[in-house]
Amino acid sequence: MDADIRWLDNPEIFRVNRLPAHSDHEFYINMEELKSGKNSLIQSLNGTWQFRCSPNAMSRPADFFRMDYDASDFEEIPVPCHIEMAGYEKIHYINTMYPWEGHVYRRPAYSLGGTDAGKGMFSEAEYNPVGSYRKEFDLEEGLLGKPVSICFEGAEQALYVWLNGSFVGYAEDSFTPSEFDLTPYLREKGNLLAVEVHKRSTAAFLEDQDFFRFFGIFRNVSLYAKPGMHVEDLWVRPKLHPDGTGSLGAEFRISMDEGISGRMEIILEDGKGERLLKQVLLFQGDCYRGAWFTMKEQELGTVTAWDLLRPYLYQLYIRLYDAEGRLVEVVPYRIGFRRLEIVDKVIRLNGKRLIINGVNRHEWSVEHGRCIGREEMEQDMQILLRNHINAVRTCHYPDQIPWYRLCDEHGICLMAEANLESHGSWQKMGAVEPSWNVPGSLPQWKEAVMDRIKSNFELFKNHPSVLFWSLGNESYAGDVLQAANAWLKERDASRLVHYEGVFQNRDYEDTISDVESRMYASPEEIRDYLEHDPKKPFLLCEYMHNMGNSLGGLGSYMELLEQYEMYQGGFIWDFIDQAVLVKDEKTGRPALRYGGDFDDRPSDYAFSGDGILFADRTEKPAMQEVRFYYGKYR
Amino acid sequence: MESTDRKPEEQKRLRLVYGDVTLGVYGDDGGRDFHYLFSYAAGGMESLVSGGMEWVYRPPRPCFWRASTDNDRGNGFVLKSGMWLAADQFIRCETIRIAVDGKEIPFPSAPENNKYTGRETASELEIVYIYETITVPSTRVDVSYKINSRGVIQFKVHYHGKEGLPELPVFGMRFLMPTCADGFSYEGLSGETYPDRKAGGIYGIYKVEGLPVTPYLVPQDCGMHMDTSWLEVRRSCSLDNRNQDVRAAALRFQAEKGSSFAFSCLPCTASELENALHQEELPVPRRTVLCICGAVRGVGGIDSWGSDVEPGYRIDAGKDIVYGFFLMPCAGR
Repeated sequence: MDADIRWLDNPEIFRVNRLPAHSDHEFYINMEELKSGKNSLIQSLNGTWQFRCSPNAMSRPADFFRMDYDASDFEEIPVPCHIEMAGYEKIHYINTMYPWEGHVYRRPAYSLGGTDAGKGMFSEAEYNPVGSYRKEFDLEEGLLGKPVSICFEGAEQALYVWLNGSFVGYAEDSFTPSEFDLTPYLREKGNLLAVEVHKRSTAAFLEDQDFFRFFGIFRNVSLYAKPGMHVEDLWVRPKLHPDGTGSLGAEFRISMDEGISGRMEIILEDGKGERLLKQVLLFQGDCYRGAWFTMKEQELGTVTAWDLLRPYLYQLYIRLYDAEGRLVEVVPYRIGFRRLEIVDKVIRLNGKRLIINGVNRHEWSVEHGRCIGREEMEQDMQILLRNHINAVRTCHYPDQIPWYRLCDEHGICLMAEANLESHGSWQKMGAVEPSWNVPGSLPQWKEAVMDRIKSNFELFKNHPSVLFWSLGNESYAGDVLQAANAWLKERDASRLVHYEGVFQNRDYEDTISDVESRMYASPEEIRDYLEHDPKKPFLLCEYMHNMGNSLGGLGSYMELLEQYEMYQGGFIWDFIDQAVLVKDEKTGRPALRYGGDFDDRPSDYAFSGDGILFADRTEKPAMQEVRFYYGKYR
Repeated sequence: MESTDRKPEEQKRLRLVYGDVTLGVYGDDGGRDFHYLFSYAAGGMESLVSGGMEWVYRPPRPCFWRASTDNDRGNGFVLKSGMWLAADQFIRCETIRIAVDGKEIPFPSAPENNKYTGRETASELEIVYIYETITVPSTRVDVSYKINSRGVIQFKVHYHGKEGLPELPVFGMRFLMPTCADGFSYEGLSGETYPDRKAGGIYGIYKVEGLPVTPYLVPQDCGMHMDTSWLEVRRSCSLDNRNQDVRAAALRFQAEKGSSFAFSCLPCTASELENALHQEELPVPRRTVLCICGAVRGVGGIDSWGSDVEPGYRIDAGKDIVYGFFLMPCAGR
């Protein structure tokens, strides 16, 4: 198959050859590597890549993926990095408006009820920058002779991939790992990887988040090899029963080479290394290409619960052995036992009413934008803990995988949000105006949205910290999100589904969202809901808009916790100011800049500066108020 | 009438200099000389010198404006109350009244003051400046300075409420000092607090180095400290061309008994903050801008695009605001 530039215009094509989303488990060839953390199955491709930026698809070097292409005029870019932050494109901040507002007239394909398929909307746009990336690499030893895939953990907004001149695949959904099988095209040495990233595609209608609008490869890129026996996917389902005992059921998708026999060992240990469970499953020499195996639910006796700010994790090992008893692969995963339920319209965690002392968190760094590393995550976690913050909404996209692990380890409740925000399509000048909106009930947009919901679920389904699946942010409500809600409810009974946008379209009230979620409702409005035969437990997915010098009146919300069992708290907007560190053009000193400071128009200026942290991660003065109230109402 | 059995410090009296444009006040408090000048032309206290250090750059004035916060702009407060910005910039001093030892005297301009000698003394002096705002409708602010023989100035500030005026963002007295302070100490709440954001403030004694401006992305009102019992501002640098590095000294602001005040102590004025779109656009710090406030509007937080501050945290300009505090020079610490 050859790549087709017209996929950019077609909402029904959002992935080509992208591998199925799966659990985010790590895997190693032996316990030594597991313990050292050095994984010889993984080869990072981060670093300096050849690069060329073009203003649109028509002017891009379309043949750049060919082995004989002369790329001597290419420049360089670090990977990962936003292309704008590397200086190749204009930095632009805008909130609800689509970023082409006033520049280009666009309506999403099929959104006005007709047959307008949006032909050429992005592929022939005068302004739709393209980043053409080239990277040469030799395979490292640990990957030789094995099937090898590539993982782009985040590439914004549409990406085409070639290896050694052959087309590999295409993917949208900027904040979800995109993986492709490279095995058919790989060589030991002198591989040429070519990646083309487009700033906009139909995905732009679904990714209208209120943030700096970037494009490029902004998260890690790595190759990974699969051992001869491999856990492709796993879903472990620990349960905490009301009597304090636990049970564990699990499913595993295993692939292995033809003719291999062997066994799978499933071992569960507590924090002290005491074994709670050992199960063995035998393989009979059949060829498995991703077959599912089930471990029936096992009763475990009394377990220690995973709870907010008091997490307890158990260590699961899945070990695959060949017929000779040699260990081929080991998968570690840390799991937690907890019980989330709604009883008498109140959300309960482990039998106790859930109180959300939360915050919305964008991934952000003043120097690198959304391209953050482990250090920022660790710092953020310490800031949450010392200020008694017990919950994070991953607004409005899936975060990097290590963040979910940190939340497991520290007992932070996650509202895991899918990468979806389309407020520019139905919210205009602050009013609800859904005459055209996506995804709405448009069949042509359904699968792209479902894929985002499913990928978010598949990737993070094993994390005890995830208590809520969130369908996205401010995307109105229609048949598409109703289907997404239904899919999640069917797949996962252990968590709740959250979506605020149904508030704007009550027709879907009974079929979207387990909770009544609002943003920026005043204490009086919340009282009004809770005093009038409320249907669902209430939470605020966004409240206390901490723009500049703000956060006055938090006490009026906290008092509601005492007055209404069904009021379960909320997530402050938001965690960190999003501003960009530059050298002041007059003094040469470091300075923070925001929307409109890059000749970017239209803009929403400093509206991205709403954090309880300043952009440099120092705490705003308002934090002592958060610490006081969140500490008081634990 | 002085009796001979009084303790020495109680015998001390203020010496008054009835000038043509100013009223000078000399005294000493336990070995530290002070000299104050109350100007008729400048409409306020023009000079406060203690131990050789000048503390006044321009006379203290009522302040009616805080640099608008993002929420003030978002909820339209600035559109309703912008009149106070102009009132804060420009004000007319309408009347000055003077009382010596509790007795009002005829205004001592020439030729009335020709009867004086330069050797007049008093145990107490009160001078009241009455200001008229340029708001429509206009209203009055009375600022009374009552100086005792030890040089302690008791401020009484009275804003006269007026129907028809929009809500105030703040009301207080703004002091402009000639140079930047080294820092300040106070007894009150930790951190930056506002009426609707002070539950997390922990009461105690705090020492702040320098004059920090809270680095909000867009400069705006900041640095407010609610519920303060006392404040000492420390300086060690003067504009006196003979000797710019002087011995560290402090000016102490003390709340009235059983009462408290709010203050902010910054290197820039409300209008300088208002004008800057980025921190680096603020002027190079040169002065100390201290506001001792009798009323502060909350910051709000429900949202930044319409919701007002909760009703209890707004300042009704139709009602009087009366507050007071003491000001006294002291040794730098």
